Amino acid sequence: MRKVLSVALALALIVILLFGVADLPTFGKAENPSNNEVSYRYLEKGVEETGAVNVVAGIILDYRAFDTFGEATVLFTALITVIAVLRRDEDE
Amino acid sequence: MNKTHKEAERSDILTEVGKLIIPFIQVFAIYVILNGHLSPGGGFAGGTILGASMILHRLIFGWDNLISRLTYDRVMKWMCASLLIYGALKGYSFLTGGMHMEVWDVPLGTPGKLFSGGFILPLNIAVGIIVSITVYVFFKLFYEGTI
Repeated sequence: MRKVLSVALALALIVILLFGVADLPTFGKAENPSNNEVSYRYLEKGVEETGAVNVVAGIILDYRAFDTFGEATVLFTALITVIAVLRRDEDE
Repeated sequence: MNKTHKEAERSDILTEVGKLIIPFIQVFAIYVILNGHLSPGGGFAGGTILGASMILHRLIFGWDNLISRLTYDRVMKWMCASLLIYGALKGYSFLTGGMHMEVWDVPLGTPGKLFSGGFILPLNIAVGIIVSITVYVFFKLFYEGTI
């Protein structure tokens, strides 16, 4: 019973994800939603708006700093998890 | 872990070269972190270099040194403080900027100078602290089993 349930759950997840993949726009087309004005804005006004000469730093730590905050939190969470699993007491 | 076995492996050449090279690695790491908004690099790259230098220090000089005494409490304090500083700084900037509030904002400065770019410099430092401690503690946990 549990095996049947888990297989059914996995199949349902696969179908949902495949539907999502099927809806993705074709790679490299000019009218894709990723080809919008955001990248031009970053390149043209990045230095002026963020004050950073390095555009990468301007993007990851100013425009998209929330994403970098998530990355730092991922590192923190991974560290806490590994410490909780692997830490030995000193007297052992 | 067999401590005497490890101490026997330590050689004079390794110790002297380590004394010579580790300060340069750490100065370079701090340079990469502080110049993250001016040149390629930043918190992640510089933090990795700093963590690698700490791993090298740990391998060469062993446990009985200042840099190795990164206890559990200190790790948690540094990590939480860095994350909180990051969240507070960028949260302030996002909230005031997103709601178009006319309050004090950090001046952007002249592009190209060290003190420019608003919050990018302190954010880079916070990210560098987090990454270096993570790299070092992961190494130490998997190598010795203790923090």
